[in-house]
Amino acid sequence: MADSIPTTALLHSSTLITQGAEAKVYRTSLHPGGAPVLLKHRFSKRYRHSTLDASLTRARVVGEARALLRCLRCGVSVPGLRFVDAANGVLGIEWVNGRSVRFLLGSGDEGEEADGNEDGVVADEELLAEYGVSKEALMKMVGTEIAKMHLADIVHGDLTTSNMMLRHPSSISDLPQGMQQLLLIDFGLAYTSSLTEDKAVDLYVLERAFASTHPDSSPLFGRVLEGYKEKMGKEWTAIGRRLEEGKLVACPHGQVDS
Amino acid sequence: MPTRARRSPLQKPERPYLALGLEGSANKLGAGIIRHEIDGSSIVLSNVRHTYITPPGEGFLPRDTAVHHRQWALEVIQDAITNSGVSMHDLDCICYTKGPGMGAPLQSVALVARTLSLLFGKPLVGVNHCVGHIEMGREVTGAQNPIVLYVSGGNTQVIAYSRQCYRIFGETLDIAVGNCLDRFARVINLSNDPSPGYNIEQEAKKGKRLVPLPYTTKGMDVSLSGILTATETLTYDKRFRANDPVPQDGADDDYFTPADLCFSLQETVFAMLVEITERAMAHIGSKEVLIVGGVGCNLRLQEMMGIMAEERGGKVFATDDRFCIDNGIMIAQAGLLSYRMGFQTPIAKSTCTQRFRTDEVHVAWRA
Repeated sequence: MADSIPTTALLHSSTLITQGAEAKVYRTSLHPGGAPVLLKHRFSKRYRHSTLDASLTRARVVGEARALLRCLRCGVSVPGLRFVDAANGVLGIEWVNGRSVRFLLGSGDEGEEADGNEDGVVADEELLAEYGVSKEALMKMVGTEIAKMHLADIVHGDLTTSNMMLRHPSSISDLPQGMQQLLLIDFGLAYTSSLTEDKAVDLYVLERAFASTHPDSSPLFGRVLEGYKEKMGKEWTAIGRRLEEGKLVACPHGQVDS
Repeated sequence: MPTRARRSPLQKPERPYLALGLEGSANKLGAGIIRHEIDGSSIVLSNVRHTYITPPGEGFLPRDTAVHHRQWALEVIQDAITNSGVSMHDLDCICYTKGPGMGAPLQSVALVARTLSLLFGKPLVGVNHCVGHIEMGREVTGAQNPIVLYVSGGNTQVIAYSRQCYRIFGETLDIAVGNCLDRFARVINLSNDPSPGYNIEQEAKKGKRLVPLPYTTKGMDVSLSGILTATETLTYDKRFRANDPVPQDGADDDYFTPADLCFSLQETVFAMLVEITERAMAHIGSKEVLIVGGVGCNLRLQEMMGIMAEERGGKVFATDDRFCIDNGIMIAQAGLLSYRMGFQTPIAKSTCTQRFRTDEVHVAWRA
């Protein structure tokens, strides 16, 4: 494929930052001396049938780009879109200088080995101070941002604390002093829907992610819901009810004596 | 995240322990006897199973399944005792499935367990079926701290151990993967002998064309009922041929057969399962995967999981049909572990429940 050469060349000249479950993440710039750009390359999965793999990769890159654009248009804070090559599974987005919420809550970064990186786990209080936020305020921001996204009828599909970032105070220039910016990232499984059900599932997925990644901080999810409730206004009633119903189906009588 | 090796709370036994396990949460009735040796190893003394097989196109109903279990219980348990060469009097405890599963079959087996317990004066241990699968898988494969994919006719869960609890990271939002495959087997009238899932697997080997089906992963969860409906609907499509037509020159080749649908269904749902497992592995930072449950003996699923694990520099552990498919020995294994930690179920509390989540169990025997 002749048209794939520029993208391949670009990937080759970029620095590999990390490899997630589905994609390799690179740092590059699109022109010499330009602002850094994050490249997300969805590499092919050999375990899947090749036809299925190709169509999934294409659909996800396009879907992610569309969701990001829609978010940007509706004022949800997400990284800006810079580059799309769906056939090769490459998406280029704005490089965000900051940390994931998972890291800030003291559970380390995704895929990070526990041994040999003690400082990241211990220093979460200091880190939060550096970013100038309390855990509670951070959780409320998360809730507000998710609400903005849901009000725009976008469902994230994979809400976890690893998929939210707080921009480092030093890299915010156009915001008033003392304001933080929380961004939602990784829209690979996002889709458009106005259904109460889908939005409630989104929250349910996040609640479960909280319970499994931060087992000691269950009240934090309550804070997220507070921020969410406030921003959603009257739409919350239906979503809140659906969320409760969903929990009943999944776990009808809570704890059973063991 | 790799945790530092902590001392296991489970002491090495001062003498060999023996347990009988009784399982009957679905259409399989199983009895097995396990022995825990003083060096910490376990020996499977017997593992007997009898399956309630329905005619093609029919599923198993709770009431009929319970009747089957009641009819076969004594024979299956007698075989387990005879094969093991031990006597009922040598047992330390009798373990039975408390749940989850179908109500009527669970009750029938619990009743047998209670009766034996009173007859021989042996303590009862109620076991969570899912934990039974996980513990047997760990024992057979030797996997230390794997991500567990538990796939069967009634359950689809991605599980990881943390702080004396098997936490569920992802699961199905509607029907189980085995249920999805079994019900499609019914639609195309495949035999239920030895199991519908096995026949789907054989049929899928003949399939070549990948028919597009919905692909529904939601975070670490999957949704399967829509895929079943979509596949079912395709059997009414005008391109559907019940038999592969003889190839002719210039003939229309835009068609698909039952084998193609089995192939497409397997490829799609297994890709979804491997995807959520991989996501959980990345999330936790684990490199081992253990597949348990009836669907776990599907070789295509094992192969796909193997490729994924290899790409991540990890390893896949799976067992064969003796331990994958519901059996009594796994109930004995999990039950004996908790018995050795001092857990017993008094007769008055020896109930069963259709809903009993994996994360409700206190895993006292692991660090």
